[in-house]
Order: sequence, then structure tokens, then C-alpha cells
Amino acid sequence: MQTDLTKNVSMDENRRAWVFPLVFIIVIVAAFVIFNAVAGGKFLTLLNIKNIISHAVYPIFIAWGFCFLFACGYTDMSIGGVIVLGSFAACALGNQIGVGGVVIGGMLVGFVLMFVNFLIFTYTKIPSWIAGISLALIYEAIAFALKTGKNTSSVVTSALNSDYRILGQLPWSLVILAVGLVLVYLLYNRTNIGYNIRSIGGNKKVSQAMGIDVNKTLLAVGVICGLLIGLACVMQESYAGQTSVKTGLTSINMIFQPLAIYLLAEILQKHINIIIGVPICSVILYSVFNMLTIMKVPSGTLQEAFLGAFIIIFALIGQHSVKGVVK
Amino acid sequence: MSENILEIRGLNKYFGPTHANVDVDFTLKRGEVHGLIGENGSGKSTLLSQIAGLYGSDSGEMKVNGQPYKPHSPLDAYDHKIAMVMQELGVVGSLPAGINVFLGRMNRFSKAGILNKKALYKEVADILEKWDLSAPPLNRNTDGMSIESRKMIELARALSVDPEILLLDEVTQSLSLNNRERLYKLIEKFKSMGRSIIVITHDIEEMIEITDNVTVLRDGAVVGTVISSETTPDEIRNMMVGREVEGGYYRDDYAPDFSDKVELEVRNLTVAGEIENVSFDVHEGEILGFCGLSDSGIHTVGQAVYGLTDKKLTSGTVHLMHNDTYVNNATTALRNNVGYVPKDRDNEALMIAANIRDNFGLPSVHVIRNKGTGFIHPGKVKKLSNDMVDKLSVKTTGIYQTMDSLSGGNKQKVNLGRWLAKDIKLLILDCPTRGVDVGVKAYIYSIMKEAKKDNIAMILISDELTEVLGMSDRIIVMKDGKVSGEMDRSEDLTEQKVIGVMI
Repeated sequence: MQTDLTKNVSMDENRRAWVFPLVFIIVIVAAFVIFNAVAGGKFLTLLNIKNIISHAVYPIFIAWGFCFLFACGYTDMSIGGVIVLGSFAACALGNQIGVGGVVIGGMLVGFVLMFVNFLIFTYTKIPSWIAGISLALIYEAIAFALKTGKNTSSVVTSALNSDYRILGQLPWSLVILAVGLVLVYLLYNRTNIGYNIRSIGGNKKVSQAMGIDVNKTLLAVGVICGLLIGLACVMQESYAGQTSVKTGLTSINMIFQPLAIYLLAEILQKHINIIIGVPICSVILYSVFNMLTIMKVPSGTLQEAFLGAFIIIFALIGQHSVKGVVK
Repeated sequence: MSENILEIRGLNKYFGPTHANVDVDFTLKRGEVHGLIGENGSGKSTLLSQIAGLYGSDSGEMKVNGQPYKPHSPLDAYDHKIAMVMQELGVVGSLPAGINVFLGRMNRFSKAGILNKKALYKEVADILEKWDLSAPPLNRNTDGMSIESRKMIELARALSVDPEILLLDEVTQSLSLNNRERLYKLIEKFKSMGRSIIVITHDIEEMIEITDNVTVLRDGAVVGTVISSETTPDEIRNMMVGREVEGGYYRDDYAPDFSDKVELEVRNLTVAGEIENVSFDVHEGEILGFCGLSDSGIHTVGQAVYGLTDKKLTSGTVHLMHNDTYVNNATTALRNNVGYVPKDRDNEALMIAANIRDNFGLPSVHVIRNKGTGFIHPGKVKKLSNDMVDKLSVKTTGIYQTMDSLSGGNKQKVNLGRWLAKDIKLLILDCPTRGVDVGVKAYIYSIMKEAKKDNIAMILISDELTEVLGMSDRIIVMKDGKVSGEMDRSEDLTEQKVIGVMI
């Protein structure tokens, strides 16, 4: 009898689970069509759609990294610094040995630095947001030293040869995204490590009691985030061709848009799996930026203010049925 | 095969300077249900945690089936077919109920690293069916589930190991009557299969009823072991506290005794999907008891009266007569002399990471703050907290000790006592003695008796029928969200009569 109850409710939920995503996508597409009509057909052109998608790909990998990071209850403010250094490495090695160099340079530096971050978070017990800020300062300083160094300046400041930037262009960026989506979805939702990560973020004591090795799991998060952020370095350098050096914690700016994507996906996660929600939200976010540009809203501060307002409106709609206190 | 499945000799455990378990000797026979009882802090849960591999031991030895047994982790204990349902550990709220059952042991449901959730959920459903346990939908996250549903998931987790030894730490007190019956049947079935159980419960009558032997612990040491069928609650109580305990727990009068003046008037209180058209009055100095099976809605009544239920789903009126106020949210209730002690004290009542001072001070800030400036004088909060710690005999190192380091009984003293620091007219008590020992239990009842003398109206919601019968002037029985009966206090009122209305 109890099993039937379990099945019945689950089936009802499964049926209902399709309604929201479907309605949501219809509403978004309708909004795009209406805006396109208002903008005199400038928005839904093939070139513009390509432009939006190309732009939306690289932050998706960072936002997926956030999914794992926040799921285990940690924050890392140094990711922007890691991306700067990873992109430098991708550029330097890429210009020496080609596309393979871009991949090796970006992935290696991204992976190693993120793993080092998690070694520090796990074993020093320093709160991750404090350690993260300190590491961001260090990474920014290294990047600045490389930029101004006598022997390194020309290597890191020169642009990546356009022949080696194919991974940031369509259709390759979409292929990488599609493969990434499948792998990250499975990793987060259908593997032991995915559940273990979410478990230690949910209740560390229960996780320990259930035999989950918390330190090992945290290091696994370091590995996963390292791979995702490494890939983000590759995609960023391949798309933009050059990365500017930021100091004074301004590298944190680099993670604001991925963070906004993550937040939007988190708001939707009751209805759309967060891993699938991330690319959807990235496309929506860059579409909004694109619309603002078409509407001739100056880029920079004003567009960011629109972004902030957009997130709040989105959150209001997404959270309207949530009861109780939300922290 | 040895008659004893578990043998413990000279087991010791220290937590810093605290000697939690002192040279404990303990034997569990095959097919035996063995009770462990003692006051809060007597070392019962520590002992079970040592057996379950949660804590190591500083000295002494354990043997399972005659072989040395030294578990390094709960998984190690699982490998030896030993599983535990813990008192306050809980589940991971952000994960589905089904996943919680096999958390940390999901490898066998994985192929090429990919988890087969269908197979996992099916196995959980089979376990629940095998042991006739109720459970919520397995694919739903456990946050937002009732404490009872979460306990069922924990029980399923322990049973998923197919244990030879099952350790149950304060499980029954989280369960309503029907689920308790299910658990009792499970215990019987377990025993008939030649398997063994160690049970911790503070309900002495229940312990005598369901166990074969009872071992009493005091200050971490074994005081003695008695045969359940040959002992009495009084003998166990005396062994627990080390002296003769005089007087009963409950009220010794057998007639309703309260003022004619109505303090609370509830009319047609409805919370969609939970309770429907519940109406009642509570008089000054009256204890109105609520009981019912799980899903009867008794706990929702307490939340709705205090204004905690969703406004969109709630209708009807909650009228406080002393100042002619209608309660529609918790702030109104709090400011109009209403106190509420929820069932789930760690998650719904106390600020568990904050200290005792802040927990005592919180419900009274609007009373003790300076009316002119609005500032709260730290000295006043400190004095209030110190006074209440002394009055309630809270065992603590001081008011700056954090709540999470207190025992269940002392947490409950703070939970209840912080309302008594105020001038309250109505007190809603939802399972006030859940997870507390006989000493604290008796103390809570004595506080209720004093409050009754002070003309405070009380609503007592409880899963323990003896408690409701023992303390209430009137009893409202609920079934499927509706009032199914009302009975006055009398000498003739028995558990059987109440159960008859319940089912």
C-alpha cells in the first residue's frame, strides 16, 4: 500500500514536472519574437543568434563549476584570478603549439589552481570565502607580474593567433557545450560523487555518519571545478583571443555574469534541473544584454543595473510560491 | 554459535575531561530486545554510538559473534550487520528520501559510474513494504517533511543493511501512535527472526513492555540490569536517579478543574489539506489535550493557533479573549502573550548555534527593550537568562554556552522556560517531553501544574496518550484533520477509550 502511494505521487509529480519548463520556454520564445518585432527584426537574425550563443558558452562552464562549489557549501572568490592565469597559459602555449597548446595550457593551469584552492579549503579549515579572497589577490599579483615582467610581458599580452581559436567559434563551441552538458548532468545527478557532494553541503554530520569521506569529496569538487574552470579558460581565450590583467580584486568582476547565470538557474531549479537550467539562463541573460544593446542602452554600468533588476524580477516570479524564510 | 551476539567489557569513552562511559560491561543475546535507560547525559547514546562505529573507544573491548569488533565507521558497523537509528542526526534535507536511505552505499546501484535511481527506489520501497513502514514519496527531498517521515527514512536506512543488531535511539517518541504500533510489530518480527535490538527510550512503561531486559546507566556507568517482566517503573526510576523517587508524574486529581473564563476561542480553523473546521475553546487554567494518529492534524492545530501556517491556506478565527485580539501571524501571537513550544525543537524552536542567553532573550526582546530608545540593555538579557538558568536548573557551564552542546533535556528546559520568563496567557505545547529523561519530564509536568495554578491556558499536543490522559482537563481527539471526539478528564477515561475514538 505504501509503495503504491509512493508511485502514485511520484507519477503525478512527473506529469506536472513537464508543464513549467514547457510554459517557461514558450514564454521566453514569445518574448523574443515580440522584441524582435519591436526591434524591427534586428534581434532574431541568424548572425545575432550566433553571436548570442557564442558569447553565452564560456560562462556556462564557470556557472556549472558554481553548481558543484555551492552544492558542497563552499565559495571561491579566486575563480576570476584563476581564469586570468589559465587564459594566459592557453594563449602562451597556444601561440607556440596550436590548438593543443590552448587546451593544455588552459586546462592545466585551471585544474591545478582550483585543486590547490580546494586543498587549502579542505585542510587549513580557513573559511573558503576568506581563503578565496586571499588567493584572488595572489593570482592577480602573479598575473600582473607576468604582464609587466621583462621576459613574460610579450608572451602573455599578445593575442592568441586566430587560427588557434576554433574552439571558441561555432560550431565547435556548441559541440563542446553539448558534450559538457551530458557529462556534467550525469556527474551531478546520476553519480555517487554528485550525491556525495550535495550531501556534505546539505548536512556534513549526516554525511560523515553515512561513511562519506568529506575531505576526499571536497577534493573531488576541486577536481571537477578544476576541469570546468580549465575548460572555461580554454573557451574564454578561444572566444576573446586575449585576456586583460586585473588587480585590486577586480578579477572578481569576471565571475559576476556566471554567478548571475547560476542564480537564475537556482531560482528555476524547482522546475528545471540546475545543470540544464544553466545554459538556458546563460542564453536568456546574453539575449537580455543583446536586447539592451539593440535598444542602444550604453554598455557597462547601465546594462549591469538592468541585469540586477532582471535578476530580481526573475527571482520574484520564481520564488512567489516559496514559503518561510529564504536566506 | 555463541548465545551472545554482542559482548562489551570495560568500555571507556572520554570527551575531553568528561568521562562519558565508565568501564561499561554489556551483553546482548541473540533474539533479545534489550533496553538502555538513564537520565540525559548518562552515556546511553554514547554507548550506542560506539557500537555503531560513530565514536571510537578509549579502552575496553567489544565482541560480535565471539570475534573482536572495533568499528572504524558506521560503514564498518554495517559490514558487521549492525545499524543504528540516531536520536538527533537526521537526514540530508537537500536530497531525495530514497537517496538518503542508501547514501554512502550507492555503488551497487551504479553501472559504469551512472546511478540507477529506479532500482534504488525500488529497493527502498521493497524494504518499506517488507517491514510495513509508511514513507513519503521517495523522489521528494526530505526538507519540508515532518519529523516522523524523516524518522521513517532513517529507520529504512538502518534496515537496508539487513542488520543482525538494530540500535534504536529515541525513535518511538518521534512517532505517532499508529507508526509506533508498526515499530512494535517490527521489533517483534525482528526478534522472531532471531535478531537483536538495543532500544533507548525515556518512556519507562513502553520500555518494560517491549524489551526482555533493561540496563540502567547513571553517570556513564552501568548501575544494573533487570528482567523487564520482573521489574516496575518505580524500580527503574530509582535505579536511574540513585534514590527513591516519590510521587507520580501526572496530576493526581481526576476531574476537570479550570476557570469559566475563556482565554482562547477557535472557530472553524482550516488549513487546506491538513485540518478542517476545527473549533474549540480553552479556558484560563485549563490544559486542553490534543491527540490523534499521524496525519490527524494535531500538530498543525498548534502551528495554526500560533499563526505559523500559510495565510493563503488558512481560514477560520483564532481569538484571544484577554485583549480581544485575533491571531493571524506569529508576531501577533508573540506580542499578545502566547507561547509556543514546537515538537521539533532543534529545527523549529531553538537557535541551535546561538548561546543560552540569546535563546532566553529572543521571545522577550519586545518586553525588556527600552521603550523610549528601542535599545536592548545587555545587562537585562543577561539577568533574565541567569535567573531562568537558576530557576530551571539548566545544567550548563554558563549562559554563553551554545545550545547545540546541551543535552536534549536541558535544551527543552530552555525551550519551555523562555516562555515562562514572560507574562503569558496561553501556552501551546507540542510534544513537550519528546526526548527528555524522567527527571526533566517530571520537571516539565510540575511546571505545567504551576502554570495551571497561575491560570495560564494550555494546549497540550502529544503523541503519548498517557501524557495527554495524565495532564489534560479535556481531550480533543482528531482523525483525518477533523475533530472526531471530545472527552472530559475522569478516572474512567482509559487509553482504550481514546484509541477507540482515534481509529
